Amino acid sequence: MRTTRLAVVTALLAAAACNSDKLTTVNTNPNSPTDAPVGPVFTSATISAVPRWMNNFRSAGLLSGQTAEVQYPDEDRYVRLDAASTGGLLTGPYAGELEDYQQVINKGVALKRPASYGPALAMQVWDVSYMTDTFGDIPWSQALKADSGLFSPAYDSQQAVYTAMFAQLTRAATDMAASVAGEPTLGSADPIYQGNIGKWQKFANTLHARMAMRLANVDPATANTELTKALGGPGGVFASNADNAVLSYPGDGVSDNPIAGLLKTRDDFRMSQTLMNLMLGLNDPRVPIYAAPTVDFTNGKAGAQQFAGMPNGLLTDSAGKYFNIASRPGLIFYPGGTAYGTIGGNGGKQPLIFMTFEELSFIKAEAAERSMGGLTPSAAAGFYNAGVTASMQRWSTYVGATQITPAQITAYLAQPTVAYQGGAAGLKQIANQKYIALFTDGYNAWAEWRRTCQPSNIKHGPGTIVAYVPRRYYYPTAETSANGESVAAAVAHQGPDNFATPVWWDTKASAAPTFVSTAACTGAVSRCDRDVVTDRQRLAAGPFFFCREAGRRCRPCVRLCQCFF
Amino acid sequence: MGRLLRRASLVVLASGFLTARAAAQTTVTGRVTNEANTPVATATVAIGALNLSAFTDATGRYSFNIPAAKAVGQSVIITVHRIGFAPKSATITLARGGAVTNDFTLTTAAAELEGVVVTAMGVSTEKSQLGTAVQQVSSAQLSRTPTTSVMDALQGKVAGLQITGAGTQGGSSKILIRGANSINGNNDPLFVVDGLPMSNSDHGNSPGGANGKGATQRADFGSAMADINPDDIESVSVLKGPNAAALYGSRASNGVILITTKKGLATNGRIATDVSASSSWESPSVLPTYQNSYGQGAGGEFKYVDGQGGGVQDGNDQSYGPRLDGRTTGCTFVKGTKTYDTAPCMQFSGPGPWIAHPDNVKSFFRTGQTQTGYAAFRGGTDRANARLSLGAENTGGYIPDELLQKLTTSMTGSLNVNDRFSAYTQLQYAKNGGQNRPGVGYNTGILEQFIWFGRQVDLDALRKTNDEFGNLYNWNYNYHNNPYWMQSSNPLKDVRDRFFGSASARYKIADGIEATLSGGSDVYRFHIESDVAKGNINFADPGYNGGLGLNDEYRNETDIDLFITADRQLGSHFKMRANAGGNERRELLTTSSMNTTGLLVPGIFNVSNAGITPSINNQTQRRLVNGIFGSVAMTFNEWWTVEGSLRRDASSTLPPGENDYSYPGVNTSIVLSDVLPGIKRGPLSYFKLRGGYAKVGADASPYQLATTYQGQSTKFGSLPLFSLGNTIANANLKPELTTSSEGGFEMGLFNGRASIDATWYNKDTRNQIIALTVSAASGFSAVNINAGDLNNRGFEAVITATPFRSNHADWISSFNFSHNYETVRSLSPGLTNISLGSQWGLNVEARAPDPKTGEIFPYGTLFGSPYARDSAGNILTADGLPTKGPNRILGTIQPRWTGGWSNEIRYKSLTVGGLLDFHVGGDIFSISNMFGQYSGVFKESLVGREVDWNNPGLVVKGIDTKTHQPNTINVTAEQYYQDALFQLHEQFIYKDTYTKLREVHVGIDLPQSVANKMYSNAVNVALVARNLYTWTNVPNVDPEFSYSTGNSQGMEFAALPNARSVGFNVRITP
Repeated sequence: MRTTRLAVVTALLAAAACNSDKLTTVNTNPNSPTDAPVGPVFTSATISAVPRWMNNFRSAGLLSGQTAEVQYPDEDRYVRLDAASTGGLLTGPYAGELEDYQQVINKGVALKRPASYGPALAMQVWDVSYMTDTFGDIPWSQALKADSGLFSPAYDSQQAVYTAMFAQLTRAATDMAASVAGEPTLGSADPIYQGNIGKWQKFANTLHARMAMRLANVDPATANTELTKALGGPGGVFASNADNAVLSYPGDGVSDNPIAGLLKTRDDFRMSQTLMNLMLGLNDPRVPIYAAPTVDFTNGKAGAQQFAGMPNGLLTDSAGKYFNIASRPGLIFYPGGTAYGTIGGNGGKQPLIFMTFEELSFIKAEAAERSMGGLTPSAAAGFYNAGVTASMQRWSTYVGATQITPAQITAYLAQPTVAYQGGAAGLKQIANQKYIALFTDGYNAWAEWRRTCQPSNIKHGPGTIVAYVPRRYYYPTAETSANGESVAAAVAHQGPDNFATPVWWDTKASAAPTFVSTAACTGAVSRCDRDVVTDRQRLAAGPFFFCREAGRRCRPCVRLCQCFF
Repeated sequence: MGRLLRRASLVVLASGFLTARAAAQTTVTGRVTNEANTPVATATVAIGALNLSAFTDATGRYSFNIPAAKAVGQSVIITVHRIGFAPKSATITLARGGAVTNDFTLTTAAAELEGVVVTAMGVSTEKSQLGTAVQQVSSAQLSRTPTTSVMDALQGKVAGLQITGAGTQGGSSKILIRGANSINGNNDPLFVVDGLPMSNSDHGNSPGGANGKGATQRADFGSAMADINPDDIESVSVLKGPNAAALYGSRASNGVILITTKKGLATNGRIATDVSASSSWESPSVLPTYQNSYGQGAGGEFKYVDGQGGGVQDGNDQSYGPRLDGRTTGCTFVKGTKTYDTAPCMQFSGPGPWIAHPDNVKSFFRTGQTQTGYAAFRGGTDRANARLSLGAENTGGYIPDELLQKLTTSMTGSLNVNDRFSAYTQLQYAKNGGQNRPGVGYNTGILEQFIWFGRQVDLDALRKTNDEFGNLYNWNYNYHNNPYWMQSSNPLKDVRDRFFGSASARYKIADGIEATLSGGSDVYRFHIESDVAKGNINFADPGYNGGLGLNDEYRNETDIDLFITADRQLGSHFKMRANAGGNERRELLTTSSMNTTGLLVPGIFNVSNAGITPSINNQTQRRLVNGIFGSVAMTFNEWWTVEGSLRRDASSTLPPGENDYSYPGVNTSIVLSDVLPGIKRGPLSYFKLRGGYAKVGADASPYQLATTYQGQSTKFGSLPLFSLGNTIANANLKPELTTSSEGGFEMGLFNGRASIDATWYNKDTRNQIIALTVSAASGFSAVNINAGDLNNRGFEAVITATPFRSNHADWISSFNFSHNYETVRSLSPGLTNISLGSQWGLNVEARAPDPKTGEIFPYGTLFGSPYARDSAGNILTADGLPTKGPNRILGTIQPRWTGGWSNEIRYKSLTVGGLLDFHVGGDIFSISNMFGQYSGVFKESLVGREVDWNNPGLVVKGIDTKTHQPNTINVTAEQYYQDALFQLHEQFIYKDTYTKLREVHVGIDLPQSVANKMYSNAVNVALVARNLYTWTNVPNVDPEFSYSTGNSQGMEFAALPNARSVGFNVRITP
């Protein structure tokens, strides 16, 4: 009797403990799949990649003098461009879109379907090029290999990254050329070209051209070879605005243009003097698209300027004074309802246009002027005019934008200051027009400024924490802690991990035909350019102080001289 | 009233458990008194062999009626226990039909070194035979000062148990026993109520959370253990760590808090009624000290036009504006100068004198009010008994419009079918709800707006939340919602319905051998609805008309246990206690949420009104753990006990091959004063040594073994989105292992008038399952690995004494102390640190030993920017402002020691008592202080302010980096606090030392005659107070804060302070 009871109890115990084959089933994740089709993965990667670099009223938008901060100018003062703040630009892409693109590539290559993996190859390079231009040496040949146990990838020299990127673009354009009719494409899951392989080939070649030109100072030979390869790549390059790489936003409140998202809650941005003064000086018809009328002008305040920029890098108290007298970014960027009133209305629906025919035209113009890529100087003016024209036409396509008429374009191009002058002056014009056209593509504009030193008046502000404009960003704190040895090796190769160290292609900045002077091309400021100062700086300068009243005359003044606005 | 209640409950009980009694029985009666021969009421008298127990009445009398069948002339042991007295027992012989009388005289015990405590699996064990550290807290200790949650009630009372309240009323608590074991994982102890685990998960935003943006993450919805009513608790046993808790398996590494609820009793057919009621008033215990000299603005100017930047500095939420000198004009400068113009001073409320409103934050808070009511009925016979309780609680928070309501019910019943078979069941239902819990943290915290603020703002004017056209009325439209409007017009509702119940049957297989089969479930559904009105800056899209968030959570844990115990005397010297059992645990958690920031028609809070496609999420999580376990304890001659235990778990969350793991434990105790009576010299009357070693394994969280794609409910237009997750899975995960050694002694002094119970321990958790941060360039930001070793070593002690005792008066004092030092012994090779959290550039880290120097760092180092200094320690300045040096370790989150000191003085019927709670050492980064100075709102920011804006007034003491001479450059206060001190963490790291007067109570037992008129034996009326006073050097904030209930501690931002509560309590005991 007692034995029976004990047996029953033991059996129950055993039953409770020994159903281990059920355990594995319980741990099957019902929430997330272990596999997903390439389409949604490509979409997800692309809508992550594009806004990462094109959401640019902040960061490089400030460095390149497109916009300035009117409130909480920490970023404009480079305080919030520290390793912790900007690190996500390097770490984010790998674990985000680059790994996703890699999955698309791996699957496509296994199935031999270039129509599905070709676009991913090209987009990967687009993303990586911004990363290396911003940080210099970065992991690439050993990157994205966690599945084979490589968790601390080494950093490649920027030169090696460029070599690899050129190869990957060539591969993309070539493989896609081999795609066969009827082969499944990404179709509507491709938010850029809806699976149009021809356009992706052009994209790859155009990007190839942009990157080749970046090397013009440091390695003219490679620049020339790669440019030739790009312009003659299979499928060709962008031929008109219809080929532009456009990410259209649904604007449904869920997927809105990220610039509109930024402006919805932050009224921190005004147009920079650098861009505005350049455009106003050239009577640029894009001004009313890029910039909104100042608040004082809108309110009918006597003497208020309709469009104006403000200096970059001010301290909080001096920046705030521009709140109503400097232009907000153009109304087309505003979503309508913002936390600080109703402004604009179509911002959420605006596309991000991240590779353009106009940029290619300016690249070709420069190449022609410098006899690169098989082009000759005589063609430069044509490309230059095509670039300006395409830019004006493109900006006219934004919903709610002031339409620029062909007559306006003709008139603009006819101005002596705009009409192509050729030679060194022409190269400056090309660089400045490209700079104007690159509004909202701040990282690209910043890279182009580092390469060309144009516009030559980009300066650090009086409140910035370094007395020059950064040449690169700091490596992320996440990398220094998780991949410290690799970062240390990169620093040993590239130079100190700070704002001043140039990336590889920037190491021969003075080789640029448009180079001005070391001081000007680092964004340093002469004493007389300190036309906006604070008490702190005035006192620090001692009894003699130079100040340029109203932006005109530089004069020394003694203790009580006022430079306030 | 009392009579009515009695009748009502008689009916309830009669229907269930009361049965008629037979004749020819044996009666056992007696009287229990103390040394002064005064009766001791509510002592528990038990005859263990017959499963009988009873309470003494007010005259100290007890009685048992034993059926004829059970009284067969045998000898049984009868014992009596009462908190505050040493237990006594006697042997009596039960003759059939006879009457036995046995009186007891109890001696007061300052500390219960001897007696019975509840240990793992609910087994009652003689404390003298216990080889592990277990501290028991009685119901009286818990409820002397009424609290609404058991976590609050335990604060300061248990050595080694660190409970940090969130501050928010009804908010969550952070609980740690002997430090954290897991770097990234859960460090909460396991709660077990009457043998069944009860979930204590937290809900909602972390109290200090910086980015709580989701509508249903608006507030801190509290910890789920708040569902148990402290009045239902008989005792709480804290099993401090793996040694005492090993039998609980995977979840025991963090210790176990065992709660035993009150049960029915043999009352001879009477109904015993407990009633208590309390009412208290609450206010914030600590508020910042504000400056009242300068108003809103920047650079000395302010002019309100639209409150969003359209005027002069009117979008600004700082107080660096004009001096608050009562001026009515001249708040802005003449253009281009720094002299004030003659325009009227415009404020949000119109033109008016520019004056301070010194009470403009204090006046926002109202006096909170909490009312509780509780009634319990119990009764039964020696065969069956039952207990039913009802509790209700209503709190009007000290924040306007906050309302918390709780209803708890509990029913237990037990039935002895015959000598061999008995059954027990319990069911609890709790409804716990809140309305308009206040926002916490950086973006949405209610206190955040008083850290970024204009000191001239007349807060009372904001009680008008809308203007005559219905538009929102506020002092600033850029960054803040009108706080009154936020509370009154953005309804936040939450409710948790919880059933917690179990049934068990016990069968006596043979003498001393019993088997228990039990099963139970802890089930709740938690629902949150957050309605966000049009214009809400934090949660609504400005282009739409409000927002809506819904969140539902269903949690179910079901346990089935089979448990066999054997208690045998082996020969004349050995006693064996053995048990073995099996447990199947199933956990299910499903959550679903819906959130939209854009509604179309204002005021209709329904998904059908969504203008922006809602983001929808649903998750299901399951876990299955099977365990078998056993332990054997041998006691030699009542003074030496050796116990060994073994448990094997099989968990669904680990891969096959690793999902099955076993771990042992062993401990021993020796009552030296029994084996060597010679050591009882001088004051020493009792001395016990104990020690042990235990190992506990823990599993992973579900679904860690495969890398997955994450889908998004919100599409890109119509395009679906999937992205590979950022954590790469590891299919070879192993269980975590905690090994722990502890040793201690218990010492009785002065014949039990004083005692010391001390424990040393050393605990390592290895093979931690951590999502190791790896270089994101690998394609993943983290990989799940087994790595690291976290070591906790510490010392804890409880000292209890009765310094004074006489017939009419006594004074009992108890002090507990614990010191825990936790270090990171290793991380994964090459990994320098794991970040536990980061705010404003300051990291809280688990930092690996320095590979060069071998230096070991405490767990939770604060790593951030210090002042740059020269070799002599002088601050280096540039342009007149201090500069930052390279980041370094600035402090640690670990306190040097924590403790509590309680005192209770009784004089006749008057009792006065209190509890002081100590927290000494450790560091906090006070983000409140950083921003309170940045914004010019806190009093500290007055240093360096100037009247004349042309002559800035602050010369920082330091050495100029260029001239190498003492700094002479004048800077403005604004530049100093904003440009220099921002994120200069060293300035805002404070020693987190404080003493809190946690509890105070003054009570009086009404005369017996009065009590009798109320159909009871004791009526106690008490004045009670909690969090009455805080002594600290940390300025402006409540130094007790729980930044989150996770591992990220050591930072503070805008946490609401603990409520200071004062009230009274009436308790009627049968």
